[in-house]
Amino acid sequence: MTLVLTTILLFFAVGGIATSLYLVFKNYKAKKILVQREQDVSRRMYELAILKELGDRIGYSLDVQQIIDIIINSLHQFIDYSAVSYMLLGPEKLIFKIHLERSVHQRFVNDIKDRMLGSLSALLDREFNKKDVKDIISGAIIIEELDDPVRSFFNIPLVIDEKVVGVLTVADTKTGLYKEEEMTILYKIIQQASKAVTSLQSVVRTEQAKVNAMVESMADGVVMTDTDYRIMVINPSARGIIGLPKKEGITIFDFIDNLEGKFDIRGKLEESVKLNKAFKSEEVLIRDKFYKIFVFPVNTNVLEESDEKNIVGAVVIFHDVTAERSIEQIREQFTSMIVHELRTPLSGINKISELLRGGQQSLEKKDFDEYIKMISTDSTSMLELVNDILDIAKLEAGKFDVKKEPTDIKNVVENRVDFFKTSASDAKLTLGVIYDAELPALVPLDQAALKQVLNNLISNAIKFTEPNGSVDILVIHHKLGIKIGDELARLASKTSIPLPEEKFTDTPESVVVAVSDTGTGINSSEIKELFSKFKQLNNTSENETKGTGLGLAIAKGIVEEHGGSIGVVSEIGVGSVFFFMIPLQ
Amino acid sequence: MKKILIVDDDPIFQKTMTAKLELLAYSIVSAFDGEEGLTKAQQEKPDLILLDIKMPKLDGLSMLKKLQSNKDGQTQIPVLITSNLSSTENISEGVSLGIRGYIIKSNETLDTIVKEVETILNSNIR
Repeated sequence: MTLVLTTILLFFAVGGIATSLYLVFKNYKAKKILVQREQDVSRRMYELAILKELGDRIGYSLDVQQIIDIIINSLHQFIDYSAVSYMLLGPEKLIFKIHLERSVHQRFVNDIKDRMLGSLSALLDREFNKKDVKDIISGAIIIEELDDPVRSFFNIPLVIDEKVVGVLTVADTKTGLYKEEEMTILYKIIQQASKAVTSLQSVVRTEQAKVNAMVESMADGVVMTDTDYRIMVINPSARGIIGLPKKEGITIFDFIDNLEGKFDIRGKLEESVKLNKAFKSEEVLIRDKFYKIFVFPVNTNVLEESDEKNIVGAVVIFHDVTAERSIEQIREQFTSMIVHELRTPLSGINKISELLRGGQQSLEKKDFDEYIKMISTDSTSMLELVNDILDIAKLEAGKFDVKKEPTDIKNVVENRVDFFKTSASDAKLTLGVIYDAELPALVPLDQAALKQVLNNLISNAIKFTEPNGSVDILVIHHKLGIKIGDELARLASKTSIPLPEEKFTDTPESVVVAVSDTGTGINSSEIKELFSKFKQLNNTSENETKGTGLGLAIAKGIVEEHGGSIGVVSEIGVGSVFFFMIPLQ
Repeated sequence: MKKILIVDDDPIFQKTMTAKLELLAYSIVSAFDGEEGLTKAQQEKPDLILLDIKMPKLDGLSMLKKLQSNKDGQTQIPVLITSNLSSTENISEGVSLGIRGYIIKSNETLDTIVKEVETILNSNIR
């Protein structure tokens, strides 16, 4: 009986021990898993922290080498190695940089270098030579006595924008390091860096393309140089301004030659680059045009917090100020002309009144009459000038009110022709008018304003035509698409010079008024400025007449307020035809 | 009787200045542009020229240059510029040509111009 009991007890004991062993064992595994999990999590957090820090430090740097340098400077925090190195495709040679955490033998370094060369050759399918490599060694010193070879080695290719640009390696004298799982952090770092650089590169490329397009099309001349005054960028405007030859390789010397000492471009570039100064010139005359020249240094430091300025070159901008200059000159001339035109009659009237008040002479009636006539003429011309200036000001400000009412244009023209009949016959000229039979009964126009236009055109025609000449006015109903020459033929009359067809091809249905004279004609060089309020004033021109020359500018303004247009054709010795059209709509 | 040549394209100035000066017993000759002024200066040999600057055909300063180059050593006729322009270039060019005075017509009355004329003529008495 005791035997059975013992056996059963034993059974239970074993079972119990087994169970508890099992339980203990299970517990242990659970704990290990927990620990593992904890380790994984903290590792993950650690990875994230490193990635973030690296991300921040990589930030704006696009220099691949700089980025890799940043990375390898941080690696020793979580990977153990004797040496870390990278091999990159440089502009001329391969760059091999190795940082020794611990002293090693020279052969250790050479071994790493060879392995990396081999791996890069395989990745790029290119043969690389040891001679093509530029070496940089940092960190611990080489000690010849230490004999340990490379026993652990791990290699990662560096890929940017889907292109292999190099390899990164960690190596150690100890064996058994660098298991695949441990290397995940390295993979991740390199991947992140590649991605960041790739996308930054793409952004830079887009922005660069935008800047290039802008610079190419800029009217200002733009030239960029590096710190050695090599021309990096030169836009078509700059070439035109300086008059550079069409060849490809423009140098700073081409500039110095063509500027002919007018601007010390080399000196200013040097100042800009060395002293980080911007410069603005006064007006410089280059090939008959005036330019303001700006020189700025160019630096890569985008972040403003840093005091470090990395100057990589300079920009020169040529800004054309010729137009602004001539406008200033014309404005000055205009103002002094107006002043003169007001001063002369005013002082004349002043002197007349001084004489008359002096009472020293007994005035004969004819003198008296003459003085009165002079006062009248002068004060009239001053009034006209003031009115002209006011009209111009109103037109400019858009405040010239043209009140269009349906008007019988025949009446208006007749009225003006009657007004000028006496002056015409005084000047021994014939003054005639012909009306188109097909004229509409009423035309939308401002009667007073239109009279002003006719006044100006007719008085000019009379003024500039020699005795025994003629002034003819033609009033035509123009239809869209019909040739003006044909319409004139309908009137059985013609102008001293044929009207230009091209000015009427797009003209809608309108009334065209042409004032034709057989006068002296106008120089083609003066025709351009005829309707401008700022005209080049010629002191000793044969055709110099008193007056401000604002009449035509005002006539143009009035006609345009009606929605129409004004023009002129002229030939020296034959005559001139001033024409304008008022649309019927 | 002193003779004065007035070279000016402004008919009002010509008439009023002439009237004033004739009242004071001067003999007056008129020219209405620079070319006429040059001819009359050489023909009439006035004691004083009242010279305007802005005129058609030949301006005052150019006329003066021509007049002086033609004289060669003979005493120059005193010149009083009577202009409405007041630019410093005109004034300094006039001074370098030896003018005796530069007056802005519109700023002066006939009386003050006459005073200037008499000052110049009196200082010239040989």
